[in-house]
Amino acid sequence: MHDKDAVRSRRRMLLSRRQALTGAVAIVAPLAAPAVIDSAARAQSSRIVLTTWGGDYARLLHENVEVPILQKEGIEVVQDLGDEAPRVAKLQAQRRLPRGASDVVSVQAVASYQLAEMGLLEELDATKVPNLKHALPNLGTATFAPHIYSPQVIIYNPERVPEPPTSFEGLMDPKYAGKVGFPDINYIYAMMAASIYASGTTSDMDKAKDLLVKLNANGLKLYPTTDSAGPPYKSGELNVGLMWLARVVMWQNAGIPVKASFPKEGCVVYISGMVVPKNAPNKEGAYKYINAMLEPSAQQGFAEHMGYLPTIDNAGLSGKVAEQLALPDPAPKLIPPDLAYVSKMQPELAEWWKKTIQHG
Amino acid sequence: MGADIAAGRRSRTAQGLAAGAFLGPATCVVLVTMVAPLLLLARYSANRYSATDLMIEAVTPENYLRFFTDTFYLGVMRTTIGVAVLSTLLCVLFGLPLAWRLARMAPRWKGVCMLGVILPLFIGSTVRTVGWMILLARGGLMDIATTRLFATRLDLMFTPTAVIVGIVSFNLPYLVLTMQSVFDRVDVQLEQAAQALGAPPVRAFWRVVWPLVLPGVAIAAVMCFILSMNAYATPVLLGGPRFQMMAPLLYWEFGTNNNWPFAAALAFILMGTTLLLTVFANMLIPRRYRA
Repeated sequence: MHDKDAVRSRRRMLLSRRQALTGAVAIVAPLAAPAVIDSAARAQSSRIVLTTWGGDYARLLHENVEVPILQKEGIEVVQDLGDEAPRVAKLQAQRRLPRGASDVVSVQAVASYQLAEMGLLEELDATKVPNLKHALPNLGTATFAPHIYSPQVIIYNPERVPEPPTSFEGLMDPKYAGKVGFPDINYIYAMMAASIYASGTTSDMDKAKDLLVKLNANGLKLYPTTDSAGPPYKSGELNVGLMWLARVVMWQNAGIPVKASFPKEGCVVYISGMVVPKNAPNKEGAYKYINAMLEPSAQQGFAEHMGYLPTIDNAGLSGKVAEQLALPDPAPKLIPPDLAYVSKMQPELAEWWKKTIQHG
Repeated sequence: MGADIAAGRRSRTAQGLAAGAFLGPATCVVLVTMVAPLLLLARYSANRYSATDLMIEAVTPENYLRFFTDTFYLGVMRTTIGVAVLSTLLCVLFGLPLAWRLARMAPRWKGVCMLGVILPLFIGSTVRTVGWMILLARGGLMDIATTRLFATRLDLMFTPTAVIVGIVSFNLPYLVLTMQSVFDRVDVQLEQAAQALGAPPVRAFWRVVWPLVLPGVAIAAVMCFILSMNAYATPVLLGGPRFQMMAPLLYWEFGTNNNWPFAAALAFILMGTTLLLTVFANMLIPRRYRA
C-alpha cells in the first residue's frame, strides 16, 4: 500500500515536474523567438549600432533622437552601453577588422582627438550631415560632431554662501576649508580650471599642480561619482565646488539649493559628441544619426532634461530652459580644452593625481 | 585468484574511464572559461603599454617591477590586506555564534532565521552598498540619530570604518551559511556526552566541537578573506576616491588609463598574494585539524 502510494506520489511529482518544464518552455519560447527573428531581421534592415554612455544620456538619445526622428525613417538603433575608456579600447582593439562593431560612437572631445590621432576615425562628410552647418565653431573637428556642451562653473549653496567666489582662487579661501569639493572623475577639468586661473590657457599644468596641492590642503573633498557630489550641498557637507553648469541646472530641478558662479578668468567647457569609426559597417546610417542629433528638437530635449547647452545655432530655446541656461552678461569666456596637450599629458596627469591628490 | 585480480583491474579501468567521461566536459568548460582567459591575461601582463596601440607585444617584467618598486602601490596592497584580515576576523567573530545558534535551532524557526540570513543575498552588492551610503552619509539615518541623541555629527562616509562595515555586512551571510552546515554535521550527542562527563558548556564546545569544526571555519574564513581582497563596489562607494584598495586601483588602470598590461599585472599580483596568504593561513591550523 505504502509502495503504491509512494509510486503514485512519485508519478505526481514527475508529472508536476514535467508540467513545470513544459510551462517554462511555453513561457520562454515566445520570449526568445522574437529575439531570434529580430536578429535575422536586423541583419537585413537599416540598423545602426550606437556605442554610448548609459543612464540618462542613453535614455534621452532614445527619446529625443531615435524614436521621434530615426524610427520614422525606418532606421533601427541598437545601443551598446558602457564607459568611455572601454569604448575607446574597443575601437583600438578592432582597428584591424574590416568591419567594426559600432557605426557611431559617443565620446568626449579629448577622446575624439586621441582616436583621430590614431587614424581610427572617418572624416565627416558635411554633404551627408546637413545640420553640421549649424554646429557652433570651436566645438567640433573634422572627425567629431559636437552634441552637447557645458561650461565648468563654481557651484555654491546660496543659503550658506551669500557672496560666491568669482575665481578659482576663491575656492582656496580658508573659510571654505573642508567644505569644497568635486567628483574625482572630473580631475582633469579641475586641473584645467586651475591652469586657466594661473595663465589663461588649459595647458599650464605645472602651475595647475601647485594650485591643486593648495586646494587639497584646504580640505578638498572628492566624490566617487558625479551624482554623489550633489546631495552634499543640501546636507551641509559642501558649500562650494566645481561643476558643469548642466549639473547645476539638473540639481536645481531636483530641489538641491545650488547656484552657478562663472569664474572671471574663464571656464573650460565639457564637450561630448559623436564620431564615425573608419571600419563602421553602416556609415550612411551613422551620418543620419549625427544629423538627427543636431536637429533643433533633439537639442532642445537635452537642454530641457539634462541642462546641456545646444551645440547648434538654431536650437531656439525658450521659457524656463532658456532662463536657466542663459549665460551672464557680459558673456563669460568659454575655453575649449587644448585637445592635443591634454591627450598627450593624460597618463602622466592621472598618475600624478592618484599619487599626490587622492593619496595626499 | 589471478582471474579475480584481473577482473578487479578491468573493473577499476572501466570505472576510471567512466569517471573520465563524466569529468571531461566539466574540465573542458573550466579550461576554456577560466584557464584560457587567465593565460591571455598573463600574456598581456608581459606587454608594454602604448597610448596609440593599446599595447605593444613584448616579454618584459616592467609592469611587475613597477608595482614592487613603487611605495604607493605597495601601500595600496598593505591597505587591502589589512582591510581583508580585519573584516575576516570580524566576520568570524560575528558569524560563529550566529551559525552555531542556527545549527542548534528547532527546525521550525531555523527555516525562518535561515531565510533572514539569505535574504540580503537577494539584493546585489552595489544596491546594498547604496543602502549603506544612505545610512552613513551626512544627513543620513546614523547622522540624524547621533545628532538628536548625543548632539554630535557622525560622518562615517569615505572612512575605513565604512568600508569595513560594508565588507563585513556583505560577507557575513556567506560565512554564516558555510559554518552553519559545518556545525550541523557535528553530532549534538558529542556535546551532551562531554557535558555528562562534567565539562561545562564552554569547555565542551572548546574541547569537542571546536576541533571538529575548525577545518570548516577555516574554509569559511578563507572564502571571506578572498572576497574581501577582491572587494570593488564597497571601497569605491563607501571609501571614496582617497581610500585605495587593489580592485578599484586595477579598474582605474584598466578603465580610466586603458593601461591593460599594468592592469593585468595588478590582477596577477592580487591573485598571487591572495593565494600565498591563503596557503599561509592554512599552515597556521594544526595539521591534525586540517581538512
